[in-house]
Amino acid sequence: MFKYLLRRLNLFLATSLVMVGVLFYATGLFPVDRTHALTGIHTPTASQLVQIEQDYKLDKNQAWQFIAYLQQRLSGNLGISVTSHQEVAEELSAVLPASFELAVMAAIIAICFGVPLGVLASQSQHKLTQNTIMAITLTGYSVPVFWLGLYLSLWFGVDLGWLPISGQINLLYEIKPVTGFMLVDTLLSESEYGMSAFKDALLHIILPATTLAVLPFTVVVRSTRSAMMNVMNQTFIRAAEARGMHTSTIILRHALPNALIPVLKHLGLMLGSFASYAIVVEMIFSWPGVGSWLVSGIYQRDYTVIQGGILAVALLIIFLSILIEVLHTVFNPLSRKDLYATS
Amino acid sequence: MPPVKIYQEDQIASPTMRVWLNFSANPFALAGLWTIAFLLLLTLFGPMIAPFPPEAQDPRALLLPPSWDPSGTVAHFLGTDDLGRDIFSRLLHGAHLTFGMALLIVVTALFTGFIIGSLSGMMRGLKSSILGHLLDALLSIPSLLMAILVVAVMGPGLENVFWAVGIALTPQFVRSIHQSVHEELQKEYVTAARLDGANSMQIFWYVIMPNVWEVVIIQTTLAISAAILDIAALGFLSLGAQAPSPEWGAMVAQGMDNLLTAPWAVTIPGLAILFSVLSINLVGDGLRSALAPIRN
Amino acid sequence: MSWLLVACGPQRLPSGLVYCSEGNPESFNPQLVTSGTTIDATSHQIYSRLVDYDTQSGKLVPALATSWAMSDDGLSYRFTLRENVQFQHSKRFTPTRPFNADDVLFSFKRIIDTHHPYHFVSRTGYPFFQSIGFSEQVKGIEKINDHEVVFYLTRKDASFLSNLATDFAVILSDEYAQQQLALGHPENVDHFAIGTGPFTLVQYAKNEYIRYHRHPDFWGEPAKIDMLVFDITPKSTVRLAKLIAGDCSVSALPKAGELPVIKQHEELNIESQPGLNVAFWAFNTQKPPLDDVRVRRALAYAVDKQNILRAVYQNTAIEATGVLPPASWAYANNKGLVDYNPQKARDLLKEAGIKNLSIDIWAMPVARAYNPNALKTAELIQSDLANVGVKVNIVSYDWSVFSQRLSRDDYDSVLIGWNADNSDPDNFFTPLLSCAAMQSNNNRSRWCNPEFDAILDSAREVSDQGERKVIYQQAEAFLAEQVPMLSLAHAKRVALTRSDIKDMQLTPFGGISFAHTSQAQEEAN
Repeated sequence: MFKYLLRRLNLFLATSLVMVGVLFYATGLFPVDRTHALTGIHTPTASQLVQIEQDYKLDKNQAWQFIAYLQQRLSGNLGISVTSHQEVAEELSAVLPASFELAVMAAIIAICFGVPLGVLASQSQHKLTQNTIMAITLTGYSVPVFWLGLYLSLWFGVDLGWLPISGQINLLYEIKPVTGFMLVDTLLSESEYGMSAFKDALLHIILPATTLAVLPFTVVVRSTRSAMMNVMNQTFIRAAEARGMHTSTIILRHALPNALIPVLKHLGLMLGSFASYAIVVEMIFSWPGVGSWLVSGIYQRDYTVIQGGILAVALLIIFLSILIEVLHTVFNPLSRKDLYATS
Repeated sequence: MPPVKIYQEDQIASPTMRVWLNFSANPFALAGLWTIAFLLLLTLFGPMIAPFPPEAQDPRALLLPPSWDPSGTVAHFLGTDDLGRDIFSRLLHGAHLTFGMALLIVVTALFTGFIIGSLSGMMRGLKSSILGHLLDALLSIPSLLMAILVVAVMGPGLENVFWAVGIALTPQFVRSIHQSVHEELQKEYVTAARLDGANSMQIFWYVIMPNVWEVVIIQTTLAISAAILDIAALGFLSLGAQAPSPEWGAMVAQGMDNLLTAPWAVTIPGLAILFSVLSINLVGDGLRSALAPIRN
Repeated sequence: MSWLLVACGPQRLPSGLVYCSEGNPESFNPQLVTSGTTIDATSHQIYSRLVDYDTQSGKLVPALATSWAMSDDGLSYRFTLRENVQFQHSKRFTPTRPFNADDVLFSFKRIIDTHHPYHFVSRTGYPFFQSIGFSEQVKGIEKINDHEVVFYLTRKDASFLSNLATDFAVILSDEYAQQQLALGHPENVDHFAIGTGPFTLVQYAKNEYIRYHRHPDFWGEPAKIDMLVFDITPKSTVRLAKLIAGDCSVSALPKAGELPVIKQHEELNIESQPGLNVAFWAFNTQKPPLDDVRVRRALAYAVDKQNILRAVYQNTAIEATGVLPPASWAYANNKGLVDYNPQKARDLLKEAGIKNLSIDIWAMPVARAYNPNALKTAELIQSDLANVGVKVNIVSYDWSVFSQRLSRDDYDSVLIGWNADNSDPDNFFTPLLSCAAMQSNNNRSRWCNPEFDAILDSAREVSDQGERKVIYQQAEAFLAEQVPMLSLAHAKRVALTRSDIKDMQLTPFGGISFAHTSQAQEEAN
């Protein structure tokens, strides 16, 4: 087991290194001065220039430069944003929690609705129910997310006026960021408006989280369904049936836990697509997360922001997909035999 | 020379035929296939049947609703946008930008991915593992982030979408082909062929390849739908096709300015994207279940 | 769960006002910019000026200066300053003294004195002041005592006081500046602004919001609202949707096409005011082939302005026949000087020997009062020019990048515009098309013509309105001849409010002020 974890850690480090390498290579291609691309300082003074040269070893060859670049980035120096003159790392830490909040909310929605529906689809005897569920998921899988987001905001925000369509909270609530998670912060807030602020924040998250949840929801439904159908044919389920156990007990206690393992793996494989979706969703609902920060960074040709954002999101995805793989191995007795196998 | 038929009355369907029979038994998949064929025709001939050029502005017909609306006209079948451009014509002209581009990207990515994937799949040891890490790193960059990186380097534009989405899709092909080649390589029938004295080239082409095609086909359908959605999303964020391009995603972005007054300028291109992706996915789904009995 | 929450009844909201603004400010010091977005976010909220315009009469009224006197030769102005005016507090700065003459000296010396430690702090320059030749005009500023200052001018200029009343001529805190200079962060003065205005800047989150609190010790009547938030929402549709949903109470720059939607909603009001502005298409007259006046004229003839008025402004704007808008007293209708005539355009191009011309049009990416959608305008011009065989390539970047790249001089032409800063007609010519404006990059046509400058100079020297009007009409005719730019339209200045908002001020010369705005009652959501 230890050796396995070490190998996964090794994989994480190697992949991250490649990732940083790609970004390092890109800094040389950006259509601006190298110093600007690396630090975000537009017109450096002479002393700044010397400092930059020293920090990034610009007088040495590419290999040294790469090591220096790696050192700078690892020490948390992501440069400054050329538009706001703030540290990129600081801005990044301000926008990350909002994205997490949205992603967690979407994941909760996707799983809470997706798993039961997937089970239903696998167990239903009616062709109609099955087909309807599959049609819904296939449509959900095919719908362009920006279009869906626009329509949801048009219906629920403008026509019906039920839900706010943009931002994290009504800006009149002045919430001190403690954790960065708006829902938590509003509850922690000591202001007399804390509770209404919490409700307001909750209302604000519904539409973006639902939109973002559509893709993982369809993935969950489809993979739960196929995994359930697979599991239900296994001998141990037959055995349980033969013992006369109640169907719901069989499903909940024996089948579902086993079926959820491949679902986890499927979700892990889709992380990249989720991230792309999240960027678009954040743009549509003006959600102040990494995605909208990154896209406005590209609109403003803010090269340090672009690097910082891509690095953060990619590292996160590498980390999460490896984590999911490890979890998958831990939970799945079948794949544990891979632990000691060669490659 | 056609195979000699021993049993006159009993026709044994070839594997391809069986896949087709399985596939065509599914009405949804068949409908998807027809839609794709239709889209292909539009991609090729759309600009010829479009009643107006894509950027022709009619200042007397601004924001005209579709023809089924009481105030719409038949001349502008799907209405016009805020510059008086005919949405139907733009949709037809946009087909080869969104759908055609997606096909082009996928073919290119498939070609590159096939070469790299099969070469690396036949490799063993360190080289293979280095490539594996490289692919994992590239795969962990979501396509949109990759596009942002490409746009940062080359600036926005439809040509750059080609690179952005292509670079994002290629690793997926490489990985799936690499993996399946690698898996097949372990199997006994390959060893048997090797014992028969087949060289690597022969093993690859005659022994392994027939078993990898299915993976390639399924991956291709997945990639086409991903490519369409990515091209459209980039157009929507105006990182890809730029106004006044009739690319479908860009059309949605251009229509967004009048979302409240003229929702059809957003609805119609959006539906076009939805239906093309849906039909691709239907075909993909159909293929997967048609291939499933063979694969197992 | 959401239904339950919706059913919970009215939510309690802290008192305050949210304004959906159209973009990020470039700086928090209006001296450094010309963009209306920045002016809106700073000038009338955070700062005060020496003198102000009365919004109703358009006359000059006392602000930080309680009175002023011009010397007989017209070459010096003595200002008596208001006493007990308090600067705002912030995390970084606690003022120890009220406003005095040092602050006035700092605010203006920074602009005119190239040796001033603050002169080059923000590398943007002082575009408005450069474009009117402020540093040549003002010889010196002298502090008589804590509450009296004298400005010495090099030449007589009737527009001097008007210039001090513009949104750009704000008063900064000398004490704050010295403190930040000592700390080694002089740029903080322009980012984390301190002024004497009705609102204190609390927080700015790029792309998200700007938060202000009421300045409790404001010298005038304190603001009626406790908090002011600028919700930065670049998309006009989203601004409108937010307004309908009640997420903001006032919204900037609606698209003309949205007005019918607004009329369906009873709770929304449209505030509008005839604008002193002009949207134009400036040609880079230093770049071939646009240095050829025939080519410029050909392009001007090729553009169908009526079409632009219909599609972009939905007929809410007036066709521009020259630079001056009808709201200016020097205006005259010059229709007929340059009219839509594609045949003439083709002939002129042929005469100039130009074939297969292809030019770039830079279209600003943001909505402005004078042009709600420059990109759309560019697309219309693109198809007009295609008619006369000219290929157009539309270029656009995010605003900060756009304005930065525009300062380099490699563009062909740009769609932009101008909001007047004061009622003087000179404000439409000198800052836009004089040689002085070329240094400040405000002269988007990069057109410097001594003959034209001479006309403008002669107009400034006379004081009779009738005479001046004649001279300004000469200037207009000269422009129609030389076509350094093509004026397109004069738009109305419009903002949307929810009906419980009272007394919001659209100042006639661009800025927006919330100093007197109030809300009818606490809004139930």
